[in-house]
Amino acid sequence: MDKSLNVMVIYILSHLGLIFFMYPGNIIDSTEQGHWLPILIGVIVHFVFITIYMKGLELFPKKDVISIYSSIGKGTAVFFLIPVLLYFIMIILITVRAYAEIITIVFLSNTPLWAIILLILFISTYIAANGIEPIFRTGFLLAILFLPLIVMIFFTSFQNVDWHYFVPFDTDFKFMSSPSYYESFFAFSGGFLFLGFIQPYFSYKRKKVLIAAAILIPIFLFSVYIPILTFGQATAATTFLPYVVVVDTININWLMFDRVTMFFLLSLISFIMLYLALVIWKTVRIINHYIPSIHSSYCMILLSLAIFITCHFISDWKEVEKLFLWNTLLRFYVLFAIPLSIYYFGRRAKRKENNANT
Amino acid sequence: MQTPKSNKRVLLVLCMISIICTLTGCWDNRDINHRVLPLAIGISKQANEYKVILKIQVHDNETTKLKIVTQTGETISKAVDTISTNMESSVDLLHVKVIVIDKETAEDGVKDIISGFMRSREVSPKALIAICDEDIEYFFTNIKKTMTSDGTSLVENFDKGAGWDPQIALTRIWEVYRSVHSYTHDVAIPIIISGKSTSIEHIGSAIIKNGKMVERIDNDETLLFNAFKGESTHGQIEVMTNASVLIIGNSMNIKSKMNGKQPLMEGKVNLKVVILETRGDPSRKFIKKELNAHLSKRFSHMFEKTQKSEADILALGQYFRTHIPRSELKSWRTEYYPNLKMNIQFQIDIQNEGYLKTL
Repeated sequence: MDKSLNVMVIYILSHLGLIFFMYPGNIIDSTEQGHWLPILIGVIVHFVFITIYMKGLELFPKKDVISIYSSIGKGTAVFFLIPVLLYFIMIILITVRAYAEIITIVFLSNTPLWAIILLILFISTYIAANGIEPIFRTGFLLAILFLPLIVMIFFTSFQNVDWHYFVPFDTDFKFMSSPSYYESFFAFSGGFLFLGFIQPYFSYKRKKVLIAAAILIPIFLFSVYIPILTFGQATAATTFLPYVVVVDTININWLMFDRVTMFFLLSLISFIMLYLALVIWKTVRIINHYIPSIHSSYCMILLSLAIFITCHFISDWKEVEKLFLWNTLLRFYVLFAIPLSIYYFGRRAKRKENNANT
Repeated sequence: MQTPKSNKRVLLVLCMISIICTLTGCWDNRDINHRVLPLAIGISKQANEYKVILKIQVHDNETTKLKIVTQTGETISKAVDTISTNMESSVDLLHVKVIVIDKETAEDGVKDIISGFMRSREVSPKALIAICDEDIEYFFTNIKKTMTSDGTSLVENFDKGAGWDPQIALTRIWEVYRSVHSYTHDVAIPIIISGKSTSIEHIGSAIIKNGKMVERIDNDETLLFNAFKGESTHGQIEVMTNASVLIIGNSMNIKSKMNGKQPLMEGKVNLKVVILETRGDPSRKFIKKELNAHLSKRFSHMFEKTQKSEADILALGQYFRTHIPRSELKSWRTEYYPNLKMNIQFQIDIQNEGYLKTL
């Protein structure tokens, strides 16, 4: 059954949650001038690899990543699936911990971290435990409820921009040597892998997903440029979550709510919960493949419990950043190796089939 | 005997009930009647201590009274915390709309105060800043006398939908914060004193450079500053010796270029005016000429002041971003801005003359 629209919605929602927080700060830290180049390179890399990934997946109709790799060989499966598994566990850990910290910084300053972590994990595990279809249906509901709000706030955040900050365009490749630039790929590499996990349940058209990715381009660009156009590079670089600070400066006289930031953040956090549900579901799919004896719901509960406990060993934000950096290697492995290998195996399988036929 | 299925259901219901407790999101919450939400806060730095003055509304038998609370502390949050400890309800700075800083503190620099507000996020970065040119305690006790009982008049003075006028600079915390770090962007902050018949009087604006007050401009110059920034200047009456006019529209066109190391600027301001009053029988041409001369003189006076203090409140450096490389733009205020040559022209259109014809 063609469910392209649902896939598009999930694709956009999970990326929105990832973009607006850390991504602008990482890009602003990585270069002083001409931010369009680092953004453009990221977007191009993103496009190239999701295209390769989806082309590869099309060569294996109705099969997901796990069955593709295990059909090739046990060694191959371990070589590719274990890093993916590790990567997923790392991003659940980092995302839960980082967003809990962001929630404390931005609005719940008195609430203890464990309560926030518990809340985030509980809701996402619950959604994940119901399976992939409820995740997609919840995504649709969240999109109807919150996307209009996000779009409205996105446009009003242009309120204080000074377009002179857009120039000059000249730039250099110094950002390539900045670690924070590689951290920014968090926003590109985190969300796309699910396209390979949903195959037997959902089918989609490649073009539609690319349209969803194209819709995200202006979001990537302006999530970085709005803080720069409002504050200027020198000031924006001093802020921790530049885009959120800009949303804080929006002044709408006719609106009865003073701080639109709250609506913006809560909508995005609900997207993040959905994204986490998706990642938890994917992780448990891989774990179940190797240990089929545990029921998937119990596996999810155990996983979240482990994440919950591990979160307490990360005591401050500096350590979260360190984890971010350590995760870079896995991130690029997942971003490059998985799409390329799927495509390669797909071509090989096709060739064999053709040879067998002739 | 229970089936395993109904067992599961009981467990689920218990789970759901226990979630309700956490899902409310209430943690250490205080009800609104136990909170004090001041609208205005006054800050003065004295020696090594901050003096914090809060204007608090107290409800007493269905009437609202204003109360001024003062406290000193090594940091602002410490002082607010002490007030909170001493009062029967807790103080919450969430709704502070105006921050009043006294002149000496402003001259000394407000960088730490502003950074503190930006960091803690307790006070909204949208809150307005004003400088008070008299003793800050005297100011607050004085405005308490002339203020309406709901105590919002200090805020409404700066509200664009209420008492704001184009002679008043409007500057928010985040803009001052930007001026501390930016290479080319400075701000003007309104200066107020307590008034006799009205609760406050505006006596011009302070020029803030890197978070420090360096110079001041008067109300009429602030009007030009606002016109330059593109704030609407509607309703402004420009008095000359022969006529007074109402500005109903302004637009601006600016060209910038570099002559070696000297920045050059050509500005053209288009003003649409309506004639309100005349003295004698001046011709249209005469009014235009006089208005032009008057505004040019006033503008160049303000411009020279800002150049002398090296504070770029008009953000003219922004126009040179493509001409000067970023590494040099850092010294825009000291090396380029004082040498900037500005040629500004006012193009005045008299849109109509009301019910009467002018000759």
